[in-house]
Amino acid sequence: MSSVLRLVWFDLKQELKPPVWIVLQWFTFGIQLFVYGAILSQLVTGISNYLQFYAVGFIIILTFDIGSHTGRHFVEHAHDGLLPYLLSLPISRSKLFLAITFQGGAELSLMLAVPLTVTLSIIGNLTAFSVAMVVATLFCLGFGVAGLMLGLSFIAFKSSDLYSAITILAGTVVIRFSTVLYPLIFLPPGYASVAMFSPLTYGADLVRLLLGFDPSMLLNPTYAVVVIVALAVSTLGLGMFLLQRLVEGVKSA
Amino acid sequence: MSELNRILQLARNDFSYFFRTKWLMAVLLSLNLSDMLVVALVYGKLMSFDYFQFFVPGVVVMGLFVAALDTGRRIWLAIGEGVIHYYLSLPISTPGIVIAYLLAGGLTSVVYSTSLLLVALLVLPAQAVWSTFILLPFIFVLAMGLAGISASLAALSSTHGEFFFAYQQIVQTLFLTLSTVFYPISFVTKYLPPFLTTIVSANPLSLAADAMRQYTFAGQPIQPFFLLNILIASIPFTIIGAVSYLAVLHTIQVKGKL
Repeated sequence: MSSVLRLVWFDLKQELKPPVWIVLQWFTFGIQLFVYGAILSQLVTGISNYLQFYAVGFIIILTFDIGSHTGRHFVEHAHDGLLPYLLSLPISRSKLFLAITFQGGAELSLMLAVPLTVTLSIIGNLTAFSVAMVVATLFCLGFGVAGLMLGLSFIAFKSSDLYSAITILAGTVVIRFSTVLYPLIFLPPGYASVAMFSPLTYGADLVRLLLGFDPSMLLNPTYAVVVIVALAVSTLGLGMFLLQRLVEGVKSA
Repeated sequence: MSELNRILQLARNDFSYFFRTKWLMAVLLSLNLSDMLVVALVYGKLMSFDYFQFFVPGVVVMGLFVAALDTGRRIWLAIGEGVIHYYLSLPISTPGIVIAYLLAGGLTSVVYSTSLLLVALLVLPAQAVWSTFILLPFIFVLAMGLAGISASLAALSSTHGEFFFAYQQIVQTLFLTLSTVFYPISFVTKYLPPFLTTIVSANPLSLAADAMRQYTFAGQPIQPFFLLNILIASIPFTIIGAVSYLAVLHTIQVKGKL
């Protein structure tokens, strides 16, 4: 376990000295919520208190961004030549995979700490159980997205440009065609059917349900739980499988 | 070959580099088109006024801004990868390199945002398309100003390259949030304090978005004073960008590095 933790710290310390990206996420969240979200909530008449709705949506966007960053980070390692070094270390592939996952989890915790606290305090009227379940959902979603990006990262061994284009395109579609920014009932039928394929739809609706939003606007929580857990398990499983088969000396094209 | 020809050749090289970067095209097009055809449409259903009509011209300006900001990334790459040394060895003056980059930045943004405008014209009826031709030179100056901001960021982060994207994100967030790209000024006035409302009104992105809404889409007669405002808001940024990039090039020329 100590070798896993050492690897996690090896990566994480670069993010913390200085913690520019973490503070930047907090800053962006602050501006987006207290300027963009607040002004937009005056314009939105279809939902009561859109600010709260938007705050949860932005937390989901942040979770998605941080999860994708874990996958992209892996590709950067391949590009920089760090991956062959990591693969040559006297640790098993499963431990290496565990280190990548833990590093993603630690990043998620650090970057979400302030935005989530602010969001929860804006919404208020919460129980310890609901907060714990929200955190669990976000981690599950974050790991799912990270696993998905790790799975896709193997495209980067053919072409890193193609990988960047696919992940960014997928990210945009997954966010816009989802219930992150608006409830499903307001989406035109064509868009709503696409949104049903976005994992963020399930993540956002589940978190909102746990935080006491009107259930009539949200998806069935049972489906949401199944989708989120299935995504995390399947994509992390795929990532682990691919890492086991990865040959030493591989590098991003 | 005259200096002007060399500047134009360098600008053409940078211009084509922008459109050849496939992942960048994927990012910009997917973001802007989904904002226009998904976000604007759905938000329209959540609001009591026609948000689609309001936001679509805003997306065109947003496209102009993000494409202009990419000028900084190209300068940052040229500095980081040493291509700048090659440029400095070319028979072109240092101010010529700066002008070429700013020209290319302005032109890429205008061409890119024009493609968005064409999509916008397909989905939103415009009352005076010909007004766009009058607006175009002013939009080009504005784009050069925005490219200047980006060049300043590249110059600012020339010694700490890893911070470039952080600076870019801060600038992008502040410029877009504190503008009328997303919301009408009447709502901004209700929420933000007066000094921030002044910043929002003077923001070049607000001016461009309002010009496009009023003159191209609503068909109101063009006010010369408004166009002058766009120039006044843009030219200082172009000058700041040019001076800071020039200073970086000068340092590289003198010391051989930063």
